[in-house]
Amino acid sequence: MNWVRIRKDSIKINGTTLPTNHCGMEMLKEVYKQLIGGYPKFFKMDALCRLGFIASELLLQQESPRITDTERRAVILFNRSSSLCDDRSYQTTIQDTEKFFPSPAVFVYTLPNIVTGEISIRNKYYGETLFCVLDKFNANEIFQVVKESFLDSMTNDVITGWVDCESDDDFEASMILVGPNDPDFNPDFINEIYKHN
Amino acid sequence: MDNLQDILKQQIIDALNLEEIEIGDIDNDAPLFGEGLGLDSIDALELIVLLERNYGIKIKDPALGKEIFKSVNVLYDYVSKNRTK
Repeated sequence: MNWVRIRKDSIKINGTTLPTNHCGMEMLKEVYKQLIGGYPKFFKMDALCRLGFIASELLLQQESPRITDTERRAVILFNRSSSLCDDRSYQTTIQDTEKFFPSPAVFVYTLPNIVTGEISIRNKYYGETLFCVLDKFNANEIFQVVKESFLDSMTNDVITGWVDCESDDDFEASMILVGPNDPDFNPDFINEIYKHN
Repeated sequence: MDNLQDILKQQIIDALNLEEIEIGDIDNDAPLFGEGLGLDSIDALELIVLLERNYGIKIKDPALGKEIFKSVNVLYDYVSKNRTK
């Protein structure tokens, strides 16, 4: 089972460190420019979406052939901070009543589930999308929600994981692509990736 | 930078996070939407906010926005004639 772990200063793909020269948001931009590219919308995304986008791209680059245009892949993500990072940015555009210029481009990212939509749009996924905000990282809960998603007759596999963004320079993500019968998929495995250094 | 067209281009780049675009990449007569910079409806709203914030121009009619965002030159003409700051 392929997996990606992103911290604010490092990226690992299936346990192997991806060499980078920067930290924080600059690291995500560096990865976008060097390994992805061709999707200018990346620069319009808020930090949470950029994080989820980069994690999903690195994950899906491990898939061969890469599956797109399907109703049978779900995107189910979790975090603790919801869209707080972008909420704060939006607040700065409306804070001063003398300079009250609400930004539409910032406003559209003031929901955490936008990141599941961005990943789905990028890959033409038309399956289930779900974003859950938890009190804290909880492998058992993630496992249960993903397991239940396979109870429908549509879902073949799920992109899932933890995508949490406090700020441009403080974020983390762990993401996997899992099928209904993957023998390795269990709470311990989810925990192991999350705690991977 | 004292050329209003270049100032507008830089403000568009900054406001819309067009990080891979430079002033020189934007043709003054090229359409900003559709084939040009590939901007979308959210970008149009952001440009309307930009005009109000930087030039005191309030666009209340969406149809007018469609007209003045045709190109940098069209936008330049409109801003030159209507700016209040």
